[in-house]
Amino acid sequence: MNLERLPNEEKLTLCRKYYLGGFACLPFLWLVNVVWFFKEAFVKPTYTEQTQIKTYVKRSALGLLLWVTVLTTWITIYQHFRAQWGEVGDYLSFTIPLGTP
Amino acid sequence: MDLLSNKRIVNLLVCLFFTGVGCNSVEDKIYVNLNYSIPCVRLLNATHQIGCQSSMSGDVGVLHLLESEENLDWVLRSGPNPPYIVILESTLFTRSIMMKLKNGSSRVAGVVVVAPTTNPQEGFSPHNTCPNENTGVYSEDYDPTMAHCNVTVWNPLGNNLSYEEFDFPIFSLKDDNDTQVIRQCYMDHNRAANGSVPQYPLCAMQLFSHMSAVTDTVTCMRRNSINFSINPEDVCDPLGDFNVWASTNPLNNTAKGHKTGETVIIAAARLDSRSFFFDLAPGAESTASGLVTLLAAANALRNFTQDNQLNRTIFYTFFHGETFDYIGSSRMVYDMEDNQFVVDLDNVHSVLEIGQVGLHGDSKLWLHSDPVSRKNSSINEEVMKLINNLTSSAKDLNFSVEEPDVTQPLPPSSLQRFLLARPIPGVVIENHQTSFTNRYYQSMFDNANYLNLSYPPDLTPEEQLNFVTDTAKALTKVATMVARTLFVQAGGDETQSQNIQADDLLVSRMLYSFLVMANNSWLQQLVSSEYANQISNKTTNFYIGVTQMTSEPTFLVQFLLANLTGSTANITKENCKNQKENKDDTDSKDRYSYIWAQGAARPNSTERDGFCVRSTVHVSKAVSPAFEIKEYGSKNYSTWTESRWKQIKGRIFLVASHDLEMLTLGVGVGVLLTSLLLTYFVSSKADMLFSSGREPANATY
Amino acid sequence: MTAAVFFGCTFIAFGPAIALFLFTIAREPLRVIFLIAGAFFWLVSLLLASLVWFISVQISNKDSASQQKGLLIFGVVLSVLLQETFRFAYYKLLKKANEGLLALSQEETMPISIRQLAYVSGLGFGFMSGAFSVVNILADSVGPGTVGIHGDSQHYFLSSAFMTMAIILLHMFWGVVFFDACEKQRWWALAAVVTSHLVVSCLTFQNPEYVASLVPTYIILFLMGVWAFYTAGGSLRNLKLCLTCKDKDFLLANHRPR
Repeated sequence: MNLERLPNEEKLTLCRKYYLGGFACLPFLWLVNVVWFFKEAFVKPTYTEQTQIKTYVKRSALGLLLWVTVLTTWITIYQHFRAQWGEVGDYLSFTIPLGTP
Repeated sequence: MDLLSNKRIVNLLVCLFFTGVGCNSVEDKIYVNLNYSIPCVRLLNATHQIGCQSSMSGDVGVLHLLESEENLDWVLRSGPNPPYIVILESTLFTRSIMMKLKNGSSRVAGVVVVAPTTNPQEGFSPHNTCPNENTGVYSEDYDPTMAHCNVTVWNPLGNNLSYEEFDFPIFSLKDDNDTQVIRQCYMDHNRAANGSVPQYPLCAMQLFSHMSAVTDTVTCMRRNSINFSINPEDVCDPLGDFNVWASTNPLNNTAKGHKTGETVIIAAARLDSRSFFFDLAPGAESTASGLVTLLAAANALRNFTQDNQLNRTIFYTFFHGETFDYIGSSRMVYDMEDNQFVVDLDNVHSVLEIGQVGLHGDSKLWLHSDPVSRKNSSINEEVMKLINNLTSSAKDLNFSVEEPDVTQPLPPSSLQRFLLARPIPGVVIENHQTSFTNRYYQSMFDNANYLNLSYPPDLTPEEQLNFVTDTAKALTKVATMVARTLFVQAGGDETQSQNIQADDLLVSRMLYSFLVMANNSWLQQLVSSEYANQISNKTTNFYIGVTQMTSEPTFLVQFLLANLTGSTANITKENCKNQKENKDDTDSKDRYSYIWAQGAARPNSTERDGFCVRSTVHVSKAVSPAFEIKEYGSKNYSTWTESRWKQIKGRIFLVASHDLEMLTLGVGVGVLLTSLLLTYFVSSKADMLFSSGREPANATY
Repeated sequence: MTAAVFFGCTFIAFGPAIALFLFTIAREPLRVIFLIAGAFFWLVSLLLASLVWFISVQISNKDSASQQKGLLIFGVVLSVLLQETFRFAYYKLLKKANEGLLALSQEETMPISIRQLAYVSGLGFGFMSGAFSVVNILADSVGPGTVGIHGDSQHYFLSSAFMTMAIILLHMFWGVVFFDACEKQRWWALAAVVTSHLVVSCLTFQNPEYVASLVPTYIILFLMGVWAFYTAGGSLRNLKLCLTCKDKDFLLANHRPR
């Protein structure tokens, strides 16, 4: 879809949809929202809906950042301690690499 | 397009453009695969992992042929092209060298041991000094003074190498073409002429033996049971197989538990051995000597137990997996206590176990018994009876048996697992008074050579099979003694026992089958056709292996025991295979087992005259009770498991120098950049360059 | 470390072809289509050749070395002839297609000239034959080893890559000359293309003396290149003008909207 061809109101609806969709534990929607609407929100000359788009993009970015931090922390902890956790570590794992503790 | 024609096309193209006459694939030009490589694999128990493994994609190292221990410095410090794969002559396969390599493992990518042609004089045992230390009867509770081999260190030569963990692959290679290729490759490319650095390309090797299991049995059995990944994969399997047993009086095998009025004398031998490497376990003295003796004794007793109804039953038992913390005997005792076996412990009168009985020209055997249970006078009395029995049998055969010091505990033996359950009178026959005389206990050197199984030169395999060696004669004597003792012990008449005589030709043939080549004309007659092609052309491998696979010694002993103790029955092939005497027979199979043996080949024909053998031979599971009760961290039972693997492979090839590789990359990048520039230039000026035609913009060179 | 060899050889073998593709083909969809179609035609010729090869190997005596060698030479010659036949078939097809395109197009001129088609289809042939000749060598170059344990030269990978580069470029030149020859009905030029193709293929029988096969191949490559350059409308004068940067005046003089 080409954003250029959309009227401003539809841009806003689209941005809102992506923003709200992100709350269903779908951080990738937020990522798409941030990347896709970044130009609309911050680069384009002002128009009425832009302020709202801006808020949505900002909030999406914030949510995304939160997800990234949480996931990075968890993955680091998991990778580091999985072997030590023993039984718990095994049950937490979806695939256990062969031949590693 | 199917795969084949696809491959053809690729091959064709390679031929078209790049190869000369010989249309080989590129891989063949680079790699030489090793054919007979035997790896060291990973085993796990309740607390440890032992053995070796490579990385998933195989470990690569530059070959280095170790000439002496001092030469190690090149590998561990001074050599300029680490990591190395070290080729060891078997004389250098010692604990000190292996431990140095283990500690310098960042510079060691693997080890290849060239299998020996002669045995080292000083002895070599990769086992530990106190075999099955923690699962025998001598714990702190039983008698603190005897625990942990306090009185006698059974295997003083043991260097514990089999129980170390190595994080690089270790392979054994037969000394043949493969090793010749390796040596040649090393000499041609890697040998530094008087101190100089060898020039690239260097000869290198890659070894694949990646193991799936890790840490210990508890972990790997747990991972076996986790099934929620997309592609659940087992990582390890319990060691296990089958015990083989036969009784002189047929026992109803479907009725488990106590048999009223039945007393049995267990005559036992072990069925397994091991060495540092996976399927290289010749076990000549540690296993074959005992089991051949027992088989010969069983055969000698055949006619005497059929005619005379003895008042006790002799129960020939071959325990599997005894090397790995008494898998077979602990399971049989467990089943007896659990009323899951054909008899229970109350039925057991006494145990006579045959351990390592290779005589090596000597004529003395030692009768070991348990001093702790003998403190009980009734037990002591029975043991004394048994010993006297043995002594008098031996006396007639011109060799002596003696008791070692009364305070000495039992050597590692299956009897210990029976004593762990309850005091039972028992004697273990061994060729050593204190420590093992076997200098190669559980090693690859414990082979036919060590048992002095030598044949005159220029005998055909067929003649070797029927040649009675001195070793066989000695073992025949032992077998005769065992047979006579068992006969008297079972209530037979002492004077009649003098007529019992083991057959030395039979012993020779069995020794030949187990220690030289199992695939021989004699053994082929005795097995059923289903097993005939499973008989290997090598010496028998006595390693127990995992539960899913029946190891070679199990079925060999099963068929031998059936033929040696059973009788030929006039039964049709179909009924025989269905375990029936005749069409309406339904209950004979409870007491007997029937085998349709292949029989001898008719002259000038592949047809064989098969026959049906009726015997009391049965098998019972030899899987540690720990896996039955799912107690994978058990301290009382064996917990050994073997890791699974995907690929065991070795190959040698040349490696190019780093400089040449970088040169190739540099030239490639250069070519790419030049052509990018040139094409850009040409295409931007294509209008002008190709201007004579009607149409411009055809950008070629 | 041998990823270096893999990338090095890939760049050598396919570097020029990739550069040509990027700057002259990729931007125009029609050319991409004709390139792929050319590659496909080459593939069909190979399929036929391998079919014949497969059958003849099956019925031949596998133990006789001389017979196998004869078979190999037969296979090479057959494959070359088939490739050139398919090049001709592709030419015929393109002529037909071009007429159709002309009928569809609103403009007066054809959207793509037969000379451009010659170049594009030649490169298509080159791409596919290059890929087939070097792909499994490249696959083996990723492994830890290099050729030589049986005493072969360790420059195998490098020379294979250079040979592939030559083959790709040659196919391109052959395409240009071949199509031009067909257009002008100069049958001797056609014969020259087929002969040089045969010569280059048979030169590989010189392997593993790589110098003996690579040097003549590159000489033929150079000659074919010059021929193709002239065929495509190039001349020394143009080249001189290009190199002396008089192109601006030239372009101004001959300016015309593209």
